Amino acid sequence: MLRLPLSQALLGLARHPRAPISTKSHARTTATAASNLIEVFVDGQPVMVEPGTTVLQACEKLGVQIPRFCYHERLSVAGNCRMCLVEVEKAPKPVAACAMPVMKGWNILTNSEKTRKAREGVMEFLLANHPLDCPICDQGGECDLQDQSMMFGSDRSRLTDSKRAVEDKNIGPLIKTIMTRCIQCTRCIRFASEVAGVDDLGTTGRGNEMQVGTYVEKMFMSELSGNVIDICPVGALTSKPYSFTARPWETRKTESIDVLDAVGSNIVVSTRGGEVMRILPRLNEDVNEEWISDKTRFAYDGLKRQRLTQPLVKNASGQLVPTSWENALLQVAQVLQDVQGHNVAAIVGGLVDAEALVAMKDLLNRLDSDSLCTEEVFPMAGAGADLRSNYLLNTRIVGVEEADLLLLVGTNPRFEAPLFNARIRKSWLHNELQVALIGSPVDLSYTYNHLGESTQVLQEIASGRHPFCQILKQAKKPMVMVGSASFQRDDATAILAAVSTIAQNAKASSGVQDSWKVLNVLHRVASQVAALDLGYKAGIEAIRKNPPKVLFLLGADSGCVTRQDLPKDCFVIYQGHHGDVGAPMADVVLPGAAYTEKNGTYVNTEGRAQQTRLAVTPPGIARDDWKIIRAISEVAGVLLPYDTLEDVRNRLAEVSPNLVRYNDVENCNYFKQALELSQSVNQKLLPSPLVPPQLTIRDFFMTDPISRASQTMAKCVKAATEGAQAVEEPSIC
Amino acid sequence: MASCLLRFARQGLSRTGHVSRCSKVLFQSRYECTAAAETRTTVRPRDDVAHKQLSAFGEYIAEILPKYVQQVQVSCFNELEVMIHPDGIIPVLTFLCDHTNAQFKNLTDLTAVDIPFRQNRFEIVYNLLSLRYNSRIRVKTYTDELTPVDSSVSVFQASNWYEREVWDMYGVFFANHPDLRRILTDYGFEGHPFRKDFPLSGYVEVRYDDEVKRVVAEPVELSQEFRKFDLNSPWEAFPAYRETKDTARLESGDKKPEAK
Amino acid sequence: MATLTAAGRAGSQMVKPIFSRDLDEAKRRVRELYRAWYREIPNTVHTYQLDITVKQGRSKLREMFQKSRHISDPRVIDMLVIKGKMELEETIQVWKQRTHIMRYFSETETSRPKDFLSKFYSGHDP
Repeated sequence: MLRLPLSQALLGLARHPRAPISTKSHARTTATAASNLIEVFVDGQPVMVEPGTTVLQACEKLGVQIPRFCYHERLSVAGNCRMCLVEVEKAPKPVAACAMPVMKGWNILTNSEKTRKAREGVMEFLLANHPLDCPICDQGGECDLQDQSMMFGSDRSRLTDSKRAVEDKNIGPLIKTIMTRCIQCTRCIRFASEVAGVDDLGTTGRGNEMQVGTYVEKMFMSELSGNVIDICPVGALTSKPYSFTARPWETRKTESIDVLDAVGSNIVVSTRGGEVMRILPRLNEDVNEEWISDKTRFAYDGLKRQRLTQPLVKNASGQLVPTSWENALLQVAQVLQDVQGHNVAAIVGGLVDAEALVAMKDLLNRLDSDSLCTEEVFPMAGAGADLRSNYLLNTRIVGVEEADLLLLVGTNPRFEAPLFNARIRKSWLHNELQVALIGSPVDLSYTYNHLGESTQVLQEIASGRHPFCQILKQAKKPMVMVGSASFQRDDATAILAAVSTIAQNAKASSGVQDSWKVLNVLHRVASQVAALDLGYKAGIEAIRKNPPKVLFLLGADSGCVTRQDLPKDCFVIYQGHHGDVGAPMADVVLPGAAYTEKNGTYVNTEGRAQQTRLAVTPPGIARDDWKIIRAISEVAGVLLPYDTLEDVRNRLAEVSPNLVRYNDVENCNYFKQALELSQSVNQKLLPSPLVPPQLTIRDFFMTDPISRASQTMAKCVKAATEGAQAVEEPSIC
Repeated sequence: MASCLLRFARQGLSRTGHVSRCSKVLFQSRYECTAAAETRTTVRPRDDVAHKQLSAFGEYIAEILPKYVQQVQVSCFNELEVMIHPDGIIPVLTFLCDHTNAQFKNLTDLTAVDIPFRQNRFEIVYNLLSLRYNSRIRVKTYTDELTPVDSSVSVFQASNWYEREVWDMYGVFFANHPDLRRILTDYGFEGHPFRKDFPLSGYVEVRYDDEVKRVVAEPVELSQEFRKFDLNSPWEAFPAYRETKDTARLESGDKKPEAK
Repeated sequence: MATLTAAGRAGSQMVKPIFSRDLDEAKRRVRELYRAWYREIPNTVHTYQLDITVKQGRSKLREMFQKSRHISDPRVIDMLVIKGKMELEETIQVWKQRTHIMRYFSETETSRPKDFLSKFYSGHDP
């Protein structure tokens, strides 16, 4: 259905080459425009709509909002709450606006006496069994039922019977259920089965006895489970960690970006009194739609634990003791003054913003060193990171909605990029996307063709011997996606070469336009693309081979380098926000800011630059990362020429202009050249199977310093291993 | 609001006849356009008799004190307002206090309004009450930051503290005031807080200093938390329905309500 | 102050004087105020038991007057003199307390850090 009709293709030719993708959502309407629109009236105002449009959508087109509970634009239509009843002129009775397609010439009355009365009646029935516990309900202030009963409900009740009570379910450590409040809109059930792809929720009983639940006591096992909290129109499903902590009107909202995976989901950080209270999704159709993963939503309590709040220096007995910034910077500067060139090196971790990356690079370059590495490995042989097309998700996240064949190599997108996986599922569901996988057979939320685990398969497909090549040849819009996890092996270059060959062949055989990219890389950490854009070397191979005298760990917490890898006298400086893996081995620890505490630039896996915003101030005397590096440079006598965030961003623009073009994706096109370069390197594929590091949901929750510090995430791991009852807490209400 | 005021400006001294004629015409047209009964319970109903009486009295004052009265108006809530030249404060207030037909013996309120874009940015407002006739009147005049205004203490004792307040809050100097000094702000406070150009946060913040063992004042430096303002209201569900309800009711009248 | 002088200029031909008809008269009032303060300072230091010398107080007085030396509009000068007189009265009558007097000296005020490094150490946003 999403495939482009002829008129759209013509439109696309006339426009910018990028246009077919970016205007995709409008494409469907414009394509059929003028042909067979029908005219309907909303409160007497005429509007032209396509046949098949529902009454509710027609009203929305004119900006008339119809109250609803069960209808959600990203879910299928259920039509069971009846709140959207509206009067249609000359119709015998009110119609449910969400489910009824419009007919020509209808006059829809959204605020007539009959409509208002219908709403009031429905509201009365809904409230018949709804408890009056708004004062102790966490949904209070952002509750659809509350708002709509204020707006459309009656001001008194005629029902004197006692209310129904429903037993609460324990569906895990994230979602608190108060099922008495449930109005059976079934949004959560539809979300679970349609978007999340787990059929865990359903209804039992009928009539007054109807209940939403999991049939048998079990955990709601999904990486997107937190979204049911947002879509629940009442307080039946609320957040367990957030329960009874804040009210929506007393929090301050900051629009920011998530950095716990490489998708860069858009989020809203709710803060109160300098503390992050919760994290909610923010709408961005190009990235995360309106969902976020559980790690994004619930790992925020990790921002308050195990934080580095003041500089630490190792004393004579080998203990890290708190000190002042002056002292810590002086020590670092003294060490830096004695070293030059290869004797100083830096390793950056996965949560570092582009500002700190560029400051670090400038600092080391001024010390005549170019040993700047990222923890995450990416093959640097061949074209390596010189050609941007080599390391991006070139098709973009929305691109998968147009694709008809997706080949996944050595990745588990469900846990490496849950929101991208939701897109794949969306395309699989509505667009008949075929998915094939090379690597460990994992539980994705859609069916796929498992081609095998070993690299042998990759080799065969690249050379055209594998039966899958036939399918690949028939694909009109193929996508090949390799997970960055598979580059952590020693044969990374060979894997990338094989994958690019497959992609290049698939592109040639499909005859698709040049604007359609086939090769995609799915990163796992937020800083990787920016680091590669800025010219960091991926992988710490160089440092292992050539151990430095001074090693700067900038948020490097994956444990890829240990004390054993370094010479005894190596001076290690750790700068970051959590006392995790990197800090204990350091001689000086400098406390930095986490992503909610700074204005930072991050580039997601598709190459989209986005910025986080300062929501709370860093704890203790921690400082922004780039400022620390700038201060070091001044004390060490190699002054970096920027004082303000603006200056740093100007420097970023000098090095790589795309980093400051926020929310924009640049096109990259050197696939052929990259392939040729990669073939010039002779590396053999290793026979060991391709195993992504995150196989089950247990591996999903704790992947970075923030989520490792989070108690909520620890509970999730426990619940996923031992069952939901293992982390049961005494219920308060 | 403009059109619901009955206005008649005085240009000359000897054109009272013209003024009264003109006011009658205006008055009639006004009468026609709000014939519909007011249904909102919170709004005081229009009293045409009182309105007529007040406008007649307003004209009467304008005729007697042509030198000072610049304009007289009756607002739709039956409030008589007399705009006067600042030189006429003492004569006009004395007249209103002592004249047999006025007897506004009571100064209920004296305040100022800061309208920064005007050449004379401060409007001084006197609210008077006549217990004899159960009637109220408002006298307004104007000044700027540097022009002194005659103190009305010689007419009304009550204005003593009110004028101190206006001096303190707006910086309007009242000449011949018996005891003009600050009344609300702290000693040593600089600036006049009710002026529109006075920042909401003020210029100084005070705290107790442990070293010098007293309260000290320092330039304000708001902490991060208070520097950001969230202006979005969380109470914005279904604004469309809220609006239509209101306008529907207003449209049920015979005429559109006056635009502000 | 900009608005003050602007208003002064606008009506310079026909303005209602506050007290002084010309600049000389205004200057005379300033001198009177200065003298009154000058004589009062020893008393003030004594009654308020201030930790300053009379000399310090007088130099502060001079500083405060010097701050406004550029003003030439007699009405603005008059207004400042009025305020100065009120302050003097508050001081003489001991309506003020020690903290109010010592506020002129602003001892505890530390200058805001200017360069990047000192801002960094004190935690200010550069």
